[in-house]
Amino acid sequence: MEEIEVSAKTVDEAIEEALKRLNCGLDDVEVTVLKRSKSGILGLGSEEARIRVRPKEPEDESGDIARGMLEDILKLMNLDATVERAGAPASRCSLNIKGEDLGILIGRRGQTLASLEYLLRLITAHRLKERFPLSVDVEGYKERRRRSLQRLAQRLAQEVEETGASITLEPMPPVDRKIIHLALMNNLNVTTQSIGEEENRKVIINPKMSDME
Amino acid sequence: MKELVEYIARGVVNQPEEVEVDEVLDEMGIILKLKVSPEDKGRIIGKQGKVVEAIRTLLRVMAIREEKKVRLEVVD
Repeated sequence: MEEIEVSAKTVDEAIEEALKRLNCGLDDVEVTVLKRSKSGILGLGSEEARIRVRPKEPEDESGDIARGMLEDILKLMNLDATVERAGAPASRCSLNIKGEDLGILIGRRGQTLASLEYLLRLITAHRLKERFPLSVDVEGYKERRRRSLQRLAQRLAQEVEETGASITLEPMPPVDRKIIHLALMNNLNVTTQSIGEEENRKVIINPKMSDME
Repeated sequence: MKELVEYIARGVVNQPEEVEVDEVLDEMGIILKLKVSPEDKGRIIGKQGKVVEAIRTLLRVMAIREEKKVRLEVVD
């Protein structure tokens, strides 16, 4: 579909006409009002409204654009890596970077990967002119990290249950803390909370009060 | 490294044609001087410097691999 310009008595009528011509719904397009209508006096000086309607890029193409830009960035960083789109819910685009020795791209506690993901989201959203949810992973790092944090959470929760003493974990970024909170959400014997500010924010696992009575 | 900064900067600003990166050498290593239109300066720096910091993080990866020292400055 190509973008079209339509004139009509009012903006609403022009939109209606454009959607009919493109045979699509309002959600599928981006509308720019080029000129508002003027009513004029006794038909003199009246002007029609003019709009431009551009079909939005389908989700799949957006994902390809995001992938293309990630490939560009990796190439500019002189990294020998490939990008594949992982099977994910349709609403979200998951890109996995594959290659040798990419630990450097993950960084300490995944901070480098987080920066890469942040920048890619930014330039993708800028290009598509709308927020585009995407996630970037390196050789399945995030998934492995998630599993190992879940195991850690279960082990420490058990320790808290047995000793009745709280355990404070080391400082973690928000994504990691969320994994711990979620892992123990349904645990009846412990509660979790985050304490500290910014870089130093960490999860603390407490025994449930009812157990201490 | 210059090309990486140019690519990302052009992807973030509203006036990509105004993006310029100058590469300067001093005793400490490479300095990349990034210039954007005044209107785009906030976009390239980001809230609390988040955007420019993220670009620096990626530059660090390249610097380590290529055993170079590099700094990124946003200039007027």
